[in-house]
Amino acid sequence: MLLFTILLDGIAYGMVLFLISVGLTVTMGLMRVVNLAHGSFAMLGGYLSSVMIRHYGVPFIWSTLGAAIVCGLIGGLAELTIYRPLYRKGDLAQVLLTFGMIFVSIAAMTLLFGPTPVAESMPKWLEGQIDLGFRTYPSYRLFLIGVGTLLAIVLYFIIERSLFGARLRAAVDDPGMARALGINVNLLFTLTFIGGCALAGFGGAIGAGILPIEPFYALKYLVLFLVVVVIGGLGSFRGSLAAALSVGILDTAGKYLVPQLGSFLLWFIVFGLLLWRPNGLLPPKSAT
Amino acid sequence: MKKLVGVLAGAAFLASAASAQAEVIKIGLIASFSGAFAVWGQQFRQSVEAYQKVNGKSVDGHEIQFIFRDNGGADPAKSRQLAEELILREKVKFITGFELTPNALAVAELITEAKIPTVIFNAATSMITRSSPYFVRTSMTVQQYVAPLPTWAVKEGGIKTAYTVVSDYAPGHDAEEIFIKNFEAAGGKILGKDRIPLNVTDFAPYIERAGASGAQAVYVFIPAGAPSVSLVREFAKRGLKDKGVKLLAGGEVQEIFLPAIGDDVIGTISSAHYTETNTNPENILLRKTLVEMFGKDATPDMGTVGAWDGTKLIYEAIKQFGPKITGDQFVNFAKGRKWDSPRGPVMIDPVERDIIQQVYMRRVEKRDGKLVNIDFFTSGMVKDPWKEARPAGK
Repeated sequence: MLLFTILLDGIAYGMVLFLISVGLTVTMGLMRVVNLAHGSFAMLGGYLSSVMIRHYGVPFIWSTLGAAIVCGLIGGLAELTIYRPLYRKGDLAQVLLTFGMIFVSIAAMTLLFGPTPVAESMPKWLEGQIDLGFRTYPSYRLFLIGVGTLLAIVLYFIIERSLFGARLRAAVDDPGMARALGINVNLLFTLTFIGGCALAGFGGAIGAGILPIEPFYALKYLVLFLVVVVIGGLGSFRGSLAAALSVGILDTAGKYLVPQLGSFLLWFIVFGLLLWRPNGLLPPKSAT
Repeated sequence: MKKLVGVLAGAAFLASAASAQAEVIKIGLIASFSGAFAVWGQQFRQSVEAYQKVNGKSVDGHEIQFIFRDNGGADPAKSRQLAEELILREKVKFITGFELTPNALAVAELITEAKIPTVIFNAATSMITRSSPYFVRTSMTVQQYVAPLPTWAVKEGGIKTAYTVVSDYAPGHDAEEIFIKNFEAAGGKILGKDRIPLNVTDFAPYIERAGASGAQAVYVFIPAGAPSVSLVREFAKRGLKDKGVKLLAGGEVQEIFLPAIGDDVIGTISSAHYTETNTNPENILLRKTLVEMFGKDATPDMGTVGAWDGTKLIYEAIKQFGPKITGDQFVNFAKGRKWDSPRGPVMIDPVERDIIQQVYMRRVEKRDGKLVNIDFFTSGMVKDPWKEARPAGK
């Protein structure tokens, strides 16, 4: 029973991390852009969804999809105007610019919405508990597990089974050869960036019940998102799912069973996993 | 002609004398206006501006000018540098603000050397006021507002067993210490205690542990903001509330954070030195002014009331001593001073320069569609228990 509780809690937490981080891992792996501002898109998604719900009465689900679309569009625009000139500039320029963008987003959200966390806007059907037989369990967390699983399946088909996915994986593994084969890598970049930002926005909106939306969101959870990317292996979709779930479950189990370890716990997990698989759990071929 | 020159000279002399009399008194305010703790800066500034709107921007013709400086978060070095700049370049008579303990402690040596009185609007670690004789605090200490909660819980609330969940940092340890001490002294039993690292984002495991212990109540102490919002939401969503487990809290459920937590928070019991809905005339005036100036959503919190009272103390001292007031004059003026704060009656401890005040037990309720705290029990005047347990000079 205890094991089930830990698993459920860990998976629900891991799903939120997965939804937000998967876009980051693909953009980092594919474009070699260190996009530290990825969390800003998740934060933006959370704010957009909350505004839609509270000021325009949009139902929760539609608001999260709306947030995803707007974040995707803004992400696409940012790719064309801000990120594209950065591709050849090297890591330092990318880190500096995208880190600066985090500060801009923090200041902008503080100005627009104030420094306190935004009002909770979960619908009634996600507030209660569901009887699982051996225990009652928060319906919101079950919902997160369901949505996360669904999206993981959809992403699996897009990335692993479609022509688009084949091109994407080819570009991740060997961008030079992909270009030589006539794949329009630029278009692929823009589309992937849009997808990644849309997922971040969606994850931010739907995960707001666990990671509350506030101006410092983008910076506060940055390390967590990067941990998932690094453990999963840069550019690996399956890796980021495995990493998010491992971090979620191990972290939850640790907090539950050995709370004395405190804040060292997460780092022990990261340390252990990277010692075991230095290139990440399931790295794409290019990294090995 | 000579006479005319004489008259003009005389007039010029009078004019300069008059302008020398009307001075500008500068007050520095150091707090976070950006970064993770920006809410404190916002609340301090709104409070000071509201006070000045009600009481005027001058005292006996002397202009009172606040100079706001942003330390950007927990940054002792920056706070010290800002204090230096305020003292040396701006020639401030007072320094105020300080949302966090490390920032306040960082200026202790400086203000002692410069004899600049410094009024702490929030930072709540007990020992701060002992680090310089020029510190005066108008907020609270952690143990002060936690102390009456466990005693009430056992004696009046019928709670015999509790589980404590606190953040793993100094204020959390202070809160845990006094909660357990007073809970056990009143005859209650602690079934377990957890300390949560500050970087934790998912609180499910801790709430699950607390629930599994079978305790009648869970006491939490965690920095107000995103962490407290997550933790309280988790408590309600996990069904502990439905099973009749009581949530005991403090600053986590200040009115300003209630909308973010949502209706799940209804029924939470907390102790605090300030309840936003109290009907003291000063409080009604404060809330009315905030809404007039900053819109209908402007909500006072602990920071607001600390800043309001600190500003009031400075205004009254200037009224008595004029613009040439010295640091020692101010501190002596503050010692033993009593007044009616928006929170209720308060007094400055003549020995420790810390505030002595009542503590209120409140319950979160929904009134007119708004989540608010409603008082249901008031303690007597409480001195900081930490200092009482550790007398000065020993």
